[in-house]
Amino acid sequence: MQIKKNTEPYLSTYLHGKGRKLGLPIAGNFELTARCNFNCPMCYVHMTPEQLKASGKSELTATQWLEIAKQAKDRGMIFALLTGGEPLVRKDFFEIYRGMKDMGILISINSNGSMLTGEVLEKFLADPPARFNISLYGGSNETYTNMCGLPVYDRVKNNIRALRRAGVDVSLNLSITPYNQQDIAWIYADAVELDVNVKASSYMYPSIRVNGEQYGCGNRLRPQEAAALGHAWDKLRFSKEEFRLRMESICNLTQIEPDGCPLEEGEGVQCRAGFTSFWMTWDGRMLPCGMMPGPTAYPLKTGFEKAWEYIREETAKIRTPAQCVHCTKKSVCSMCAAVCVTESGAYDKVPSYVCRQTDESIRLAQEFCEKG
Amino acid sequence: MKIKKELIIREIAGDTILVPVGKTVYDSNGLFVLNELGAFIWKLLPAATNENDIMEAVLREYDVSREEAQKDISEFLEKLKDMGIL
Repeated sequence: MQIKKNTEPYLSTYLHGKGRKLGLPIAGNFELTARCNFNCPMCYVHMTPEQLKASGKSELTATQWLEIAKQAKDRGMIFALLTGGEPLVRKDFFEIYRGMKDMGILISINSNGSMLTGEVLEKFLADPPARFNISLYGGSNETYTNMCGLPVYDRVKNNIRALRRAGVDVSLNLSITPYNQQDIAWIYADAVELDVNVKASSYMYPSIRVNGEQYGCGNRLRPQEAAALGHAWDKLRFSKEEFRLRMESICNLTQIEPDGCPLEEGEGVQCRAGFTSFWMTWDGRMLPCGMMPGPTAYPLKTGFEKAWEYIREETAKIRTPAQCVHCTKKSVCSMCAAVCVTESGAYDKVPSYVCRQTDESIRLAQEFCEKG
Repeated sequence: MKIKKELIIREIAGDTILVPVGKTVYDSNGLFVLNELGAFIWKLLPAATNENDIMEAVLREYDVSREEAQKDISEFLEKLKDMGIL
């Protein structure tokens, strides 16, 4: 049995393509809070109430979020992701959610799924989002306790079942870490049973937004372990034939020498961040992507339009490492601008953790191909 | 003519898009995009009592024959009915 696979609707791809040409913020990510009822060690956002108080910063009000969303909508935003922290810890969550839906914005929600019970669940079943992305942190109550601090695996799974029964679109996000690595086969089995897509990653960004300038550090797997678990996850999610083709493709792609002369400058940002999408932090800063420390703009001070233009201009200047352009492992590597800056402190410095992870992924693929 | 579903009309980068809200999200599978004539007809629907009202408005706006207009209007309205929107 294989899990459900999600593909992006053509219209979304088309709108982002058109938005890129016209400079439109087609998608916005709204990090409504840094608070969370979980306490995961690898989180890049979560702050305890004490840390929040010590920071001297405060969350935006529902009125402020809706004002930013309105200005973004007037500029072209049609997709919004409400995330956190855990967005459902906000008492005024539904005021923000309904306010944005009423503007004609298609909403997705990132949640840990633990609070989708009772009245909250009823409200969502009556007025569902386009998609719920639920982070699954393990395959047992014990793993949830070790990783998140609460034994809520059964509750989360039941909540996902309730959403699925009602026909709500659910997708799972899985962060593979030292705390839940032993559970990946169970989690895969859960996804099959629930008939949902899972987006898994064994790579965790260093949490520089929470831990200051500790580039390249984090509560995460060693790069070789991350590669091995990525390999193991692929083995679970692909059929034998698909997996064999994937491994062969990795072996073949890394044998191709890049064309042309080495460049002095690296590539620009390759994804939608800062071109057709933006990220609002819980304290009101606009970033191209939630993982990037900057460029930063302040739509509450300058208005959305000026903030968005600044983010676009500054993102276009970002360059990733020149060495990466001609690397033979490029097609296998998951390097991006956010990875570089969180691993090394600079957009144009090679992220050595990812190099080591990629080397090991290639070695595992070669080993598989040699064994036949 | 009564629109049964909860849909909000948006103009984005020259495209007219219908965004589902409320329970319409369940069975809409995302967004609907309307072509120029579709968008024109959509805006007429709440005030129109029958297909003929739409026909007259289309003939006033576009330089097309009655037959062509009839075909396009019927096709569009049928699609909306098939999707449970009308």
